[in-house]
Amino acid sequence: MITSGIEEKTFVLNLGPQHPSTHGVLRVLLEMDGEYITAAEPVIGYGHRAHEHMAENRNYQQFLPNMGRVDYLHALAFNQGYCMAVEKLLGLEVPERAEYIRVITNELNRLTSHLLWFGAYLMDLGAFTPFLYCFDDREHILDLLDSLTGSRLTYCFYRFGGVPKDIDDDFISGTRAFIHRLRSRWADYDNLVTKNVIFIHRTKGVGLFTKEQCQLYGITGPSLRGSGIPYDIRKSEPYSAYPQFHFEIPIGENGDIYDRYIVRLREMEQSCRIIEQALNKLPKGPIMAEKVPKRIKPPEGEVYTAVETARGEFGIYIVSQGDVKPYRIKLRVPSFANLSLMVESFKDNLVADVVAILGSIDVVIPEIDR
Amino acid sequence: MLSESIPQALSPLNLEKVAPGDYAKTGYHLEVTATPEQMPAVAQALLKEGCFLESLTAVHTSREAFTLVYHFANFYELCRTAVHAVLPDGAEAPTISHVFPGADWYEREVYDLYGIKFAGHPNLKRLLLPEDADIHPLRKEFPAEAEAKAEAPK
Repeated sequence: MITSGIEEKTFVLNLGPQHPSTHGVLRVLLEMDGEYITAAEPVIGYGHRAHEHMAENRNYQQFLPNMGRVDYLHALAFNQGYCMAVEKLLGLEVPERAEYIRVITNELNRLTSHLLWFGAYLMDLGAFTPFLYCFDDREHILDLLDSLTGSRLTYCFYRFGGVPKDIDDDFISGTRAFIHRLRSRWADYDNLVTKNVIFIHRTKGVGLFTKEQCQLYGITGPSLRGSGIPYDIRKSEPYSAYPQFHFEIPIGENGDIYDRYIVRLREMEQSCRIIEQALNKLPKGPIMAEKVPKRIKPPEGEVYTAVETARGEFGIYIVSQGDVKPYRIKLRVPSFANLSLMVESFKDNLVADVVAILGSIDVVIPEIDR
Repeated sequence: MLSESIPQALSPLNLEKVAPGDYAKTGYHLEVTATPEQMPAVAQALLKEGCFLESLTAVHTSREAFTLVYHFANFYELCRTAVHAVLPDGAEAPTISHVFPGADWYEREVYDLYGIKFAGHPNLKRLLLPEDADIHPLRKEFPAEAEAKAEAPK
């Protein structure tokens, strides 16, 4: 905690809120002893839009579009989490084809998020070229999802009980062609970045998260798996159609930035595997549950559901009092916990590593601010 | 099996309720009811069982009381424990941030949005709203958007 401005030996350095590598509006006060950081205190809330307060003043359907705006990089996972929670409250069964479509679009969305992280993170580290490669790839997915959902970023695609639109042959062939293309790029990515000696020197042994710290702070997602804990909601608390696919959970060993990078890179290949299997096994049938009530009025009770987003566990806690409006919605967002540990790991690091550590946990600030 | 070892670890604390939850309906494997004063001990016991704090929040249940809701989960075994603790309006709850440092920000958020104070918290100040805000917007008496608009001077 930084209380006074200037101690005898230290000084305070202000980072943000309008800094290009804070990926949003995050401000961090750094107490410096020369080049080394002795304490760090983040100031968040610049993008607070009161989603939880809005939820209490809207009915269940009206709150659905909000979900795409909490984490704009993996909007479909937030759609999925909210729909799952309401479906659980209502006791709705989602048809299998709809679950498959949810998995396919969700994994495509995860790929866009990881690709954006990959490019933007390397740009933070001073490498410009990978950014152009990733955005080239990412554009193909955005076009695919645009053709299906009608939007490029803030998707509002799932409905309570299924999905509103079926995927057609163009989407399927386009996705297959894209997966083929993306796989041909892994060698380029490895040559450009993974084997790059400057990158390795900047990331190996920097920004360590230990397993104990991860438990104390409730870290989830690739930042946790980089430390060697194989916790992924898709496997540990399986939802939707995920149990029907074969995929692995990549983990790191040391918990440094390099491991988190490797985990994300390998996860992209696993997403490709899931999409391919889902397209091969796509069942026929309806895409919406029968008998979805027009007026969503869940019975009294509470529910907690969790899904795996590109950044970690998104949990949604809904309290219903039998009304058309939710009584309370709490959004447990992954970056919130991840950022609070990252601030700890700044300590005793060089100021030159701040941006490298900050980018490595893939923060999305509007998600933290809600 | 955590669903057996957690109730065992909690039994010396004499909690009001430790019962298996209805996972298909609520997503909980264990449901626990405690008083806010028992929370540091509950958190300590769950830490020893290898759990992590998934989320911490409050619900403004009535005019007189709040319910603090703590969710704990485990990295290696699926067992979500939900702990409910009823707190009268105006009372202070002891912090658990010395047990789980991750609770620090969650408690600041609850203070910010509800005005609930956590005794022993090292740095209890606003998190999401501006430092000089004088509102606690998730309290039920706080006006909804439409009401706020109607009351605003024209």
